[in-house]
Amino acid sequence: MKLEETLRALFDANVEFVLIGGAAMQMQGSAHLTEDLDFCYARSAKNFERLASALAPYHPRLRGAPKNLPFRFDAATIKRGLNFTLKTDLGAIDFLGEVAGVGDFVAAKKSSDVMTIFDMECMVLSLEGLIRAKKAAGRERDLDVIPELEGLLDLRNRSQK
Amino acid sequence: MTQDQRKRALRLIARPPKGSKLARAKKYGVDLTLLVENLSLTPTERAEKLSNGAKSLQALRLAGERYRSKK
Repeated sequence: MKLEETLRALFDANVEFVLIGGAAMQMQGSAHLTEDLDFCYARSAKNFERLASALAPYHPRLRGAPKNLPFRFDAATIKRGLNFTLKTDLGAIDFLGEVAGVGDFVAAKKSSDVMTIFDMECMVLSLEGLIRAKKAAGRERDLDVIPELEGLLDLRNRSQK
Repeated sequence: MTQDQRKRALRLIARPPKGSKLARAKKYGVDLTLLVENLSLTPTERAEKLSNGAKSLQALRLAGERYRSKK
């Protein structure tokens, strides 16, 4: 995973995104480890174009799909789909149009914190948003991290008083 | 996190308030010292830690795959 390069590519292309998932957990202070990056992106025509052009140099292809399966990550494909699990030269990256328990990009943006990461102002899903998302996802691996996230939120609130 | 907040956090994880989410996390087995360490970092430092952790995970996974393929 190439976090800085990925953020730079999205940032430089003015892609509207919120960092979510395991990477957002770590950015909020969790000790959880992850190998991929997850983003919630804005579902607008302009953002489809920006996202496609930002990723084009990194050869996005569908993760887990046969190599010969034709796939083009362009604005039309993004418009037709919603959630994309990609393999790129930057590593595994997922782009979600909607996050369970949170909603679309507008809702994710409202539930995010702005952090300066490598000199870039990035939106990162808040601890409250991450807890809602994990509860809504409901898989064992999601539920397993809730005590940590809730403890982290409690620790942060109490220590900042 | 300021020095005062860090001190407060270290006191809290040593004796989490009864019935709190923090106490529940400790009981669940969460290493609360790691959380304080992470909260003490800047966002960029956390991002660097995230990248390094991912690289280590990938190296371990590849080493495991090589080992299994030799067996």
